[in-house]
Amino acid sequence: MHLGTYHSTHGRNHAFKLSHLLLTCAHSMHLGSFPFKMLLLPLCTRPSLRITLSKPSLVTTSIAGIGNNKSSSSSLSFQISRASSISTVSTAKEDAVMAQDGPNNQHPVQVAKHLEKFKTTIFTQMSSLAIQHGAINLGQGFPNFDGPEFVKEAAIQAIKDGKNQYARGYGVPDLNSAVAARFQKDTGLVVDPEKEITVTSGCTEAIAATILGLINPGDEVILFAPFYDSYEATLSMAGAKITCITLRPPDFAVPIDELKSAISKDTRAILMNTPHNPTGKMFTREELNQIASLCIENDVLVFSDEVYDKLTFEMDHISIASLPGMYERTVTLNSLGKTFSLTGWKIGWAIAPPHLIWGVKQAHSYLTFATSTPMQFAAAAALRAPDSYYEELRKDYKAKKDILVEGLKDVGFTVYPSSGTYFVVVDHTRFGLADDISFCEYLIKEVGVVAIPTSVFYLNPNDGKNLVRFTFCKDEETLRSAVGRMKERLKGKLCN
Amino acid sequence: MEEKLSSVAKSLKPSPIQQLSYLAERTNAINLAEGFPDFPAPPHIKAAAVSAITSDFNQYRHVQGICDLLADKMKQMHGLDVDPLTDIAICCGQTEAFAATMFAILNPGDEVILFDPSFETYETCILMAGGVPVYVALEPPYWMLDRVKLLDAFTAKTKALVLNSPHNPTGKVFNMDELEIIAEYCRTNDCVAITDEVYEHITYDNEPHISLASLPGMQKRTIITSSLSKTYSVTGWRVGWAIGPSCIASAIRNIHTKVTDSAPAPFQEAALTALTSPQEYYKSLRRDYESKRDFVFKLLSEVGFQVQFMPKGSFFIFAAIPDTCKLPDVEFVEELIKQAGVVAVPGCGFFHTSRYSRENVGSYHNRYIRFAFCKGATTLTSAAHKIRQLVDASGRLKIL
Repeated sequence: MHLGTYHSTHGRNHAFKLSHLLLTCAHSMHLGSFPFKMLLLPLCTRPSLRITLSKPSLVTTSIAGIGNNKSSSSSLSFQISRASSISTVSTAKEDAVMAQDGPNNQHPVQVAKHLEKFKTTIFTQMSSLAIQHGAINLGQGFPNFDGPEFVKEAAIQAIKDGKNQYARGYGVPDLNSAVAARFQKDTGLVVDPEKEITVTSGCTEAIAATILGLINPGDEVILFAPFYDSYEATLSMAGAKITCITLRPPDFAVPIDELKSAISKDTRAILMNTPHNPTGKMFTREELNQIASLCIENDVLVFSDEVYDKLTFEMDHISIASLPGMYERTVTLNSLGKTFSLTGWKIGWAIAPPHLIWGVKQAHSYLTFATSTPMQFAAAAALRAPDSYYEELRKDYKAKKDILVEGLKDVGFTVYPSSGTYFVVVDHTRFGLADDISFCEYLIKEVGVVAIPTSVFYLNPNDGKNLVRFTFCKDEETLRSAVGRMKERLKGKLCN
Repeated sequence: MEEKLSSVAKSLKPSPIQQLSYLAERTNAINLAEGFPDFPAPPHIKAAAVSAITSDFNQYRHVQGICDLLADKMKQMHGLDVDPLTDIAICCGQTEAFAATMFAILNPGDEVILFDPSFETYETCILMAGGVPVYVALEPPYWMLDRVKLLDAFTAKTKALVLNSPHNPTGKVFNMDELEIIAEYCRTNDCVAITDEVYEHITYDNEPHISLASLPGMQKRTIITSSLSKTYSVTGWRVGWAIGPSCIASAIRNIHTKVTDSAPAPFQEAALTALTSPQEYYKSLRRDYESKRDFVFKLLSEVGFQVQFMPKGSFFIFAAIPDTCKLPDVEFVEELIKQAGVVAVPGCGFFHTSRYSRENVGSYHNRYIRFAFCKGATTLTSAAHKIRQLVDASGRLKIL
């Protein structure tokens, strides 16, 4: 059994404190009381995600409802499996689901049991419905306008200059430098681009690499609900034990007492997101200070997803890594996509001190090996954009936000204040629908607008049933049309 | 803070292949190590990417057209009926397709059979997913499959088998007899097969590339992984795929969505152009690579390497250091860099020793060097020139 020490090819010895789970002894991985159950559902692929399709890639007829119910495309009553119901699904149901699938009916049941809820995402389902009903999609979080010319040209130039082969695994040097420079400008922290930055295929991969690189099966990780849907899935892949702290309206403040009782010496990490998707909340300096002191006291790591850091309206973004005593225990995660409206390019990164970045870098190299080369060159150019770019960005988004928020208030929603991201959550209950999913169905079918039901972002879906999320990362005309439809078909239909 | 690393991360070392690349870069050595071209990518495919960026294909995207084209290809090349709507997952390169497949099918403790020597990444993906790699050594010098050894590797815990053909590092192409043996054992042990077919279009001497999935009883238990990278010389674009029975493809797709969410959008668009390249493209790809293979093979034989096995596919030659030279592979490559200014990959990274395997490859694991010939004519000629300067009176490389 290989214990404790490893040698890099440069011959350094690193002695580690042993974790109780050692890789080479697979048989010693104790599953304990962790409920590894899953329902794996044979759903169709994601159709093209744009409303106006230029390629005939849309799937309308084979959208299966979750569970055994293969509803036709005109039926709207799709059920979204919730975590609680998934964990109690029996094997018999699993087999029945499998048997309905595709031309080869007798598949051996070969899929891994321990992944809890891997199914087509809520975003995909909503997008499909939007297309079917010609609804305006304020659900999925990507712009319907394009990124800046200078960044696209940089990518084109890189392709023409032959930058089309594998990039250095942890990032093209120029991009690593640009990321470091930008981080220093934003936080005052000076980091070594070679030793403290790993470039990944989007922030999603940075999160996956961080979790797989730094979390052992059985480790406790704290999440704040509602949370971006990849967090829970990736933590499950790593076999982590998830503790959830729910943020509640109206201000989604961090319930610090709850956090205090949840955190202990057994806690490995906190995974946080600020500015926060879906609520738009930004963690305040006071909240960050409190989180920081709990982390320092209990020797806990922080993984901080900050992809929306440039989309801030009412206050400044603060990176928890910049607080005293925090850099050494924080992995800061970010990407190009949201800031530069190029969500499909998949350029993200993780910034952390060398002893943490190592794990991220290793996991990354076995997840995707390298990141898209020409886009990295373009990303370096993007990150050197002058301050005026970011001011314009903020101004544009503020105008869009105003259109949406004023519209939603006028229609009758209770709109919660959102200080960052391009999302806003509202309480829909005044319109008398039972829950967020029913409301979203109604909104698509009767009003022609798409929002995302937030219950899927919670461990306990009940916590989200009053809330739905709208996005304003769309051009102004689209936003005005959506608001118009809601004023026309929804306003005045209040039940209380 | 090193104790904060996960146990998986602690056991990982940086890629020896990448480390040598850095050394080569520092000394300006000619790089016959890393497996990517140094000649330009095909112009029609680059143009498609440029056009995609300009036409605003820049947001999160799944390009269904890729699946349609792949389904056609599977039919044409292997006679497989693949449903483009349900059986294909587009990923960030074959690397991600493979990693996602491992997460999709492995439970902790599941055993996965691999053939040694093998590409270093498979093992780590298996380990990350909680699986246990089990190695079956191919027998040098011709890298033959021993059916008894293979049979012996199957246990009650065997979940899957990984097959890379055409093979990195040896250039072997598994033939029908070997595939039938593998298929038989997969069927009788109800085992899943995962293939890495990234070199599928790079075969020589009219050797056919046969996909394991096309054998009887195999399609329903095989996941094919491949990518644009090697076929179209765009290793930096990160567009790959997994093709398999719909329930597994669906799981892979969902995992991919959580790990990276989307493969780069403009390159997915460009893939449509790549995948509809005319027949002539593939013919000339093969022709060009075959002449490079012959050139490097001849060079290595002439200067004294033992190259008994002529590669039938991929763009690597796995050459043996003759017994007369006592240097192990790593030291040999260092000498090659310092004295000849040429870099190749020591073979030891591809061999896996007794920690996991039932066989001991101790006697030859450090006797092989992998040379990549996916390089432009100028590069190969310069490399030949530099190596030839180091030969003694009898024409043998001095280091040997």
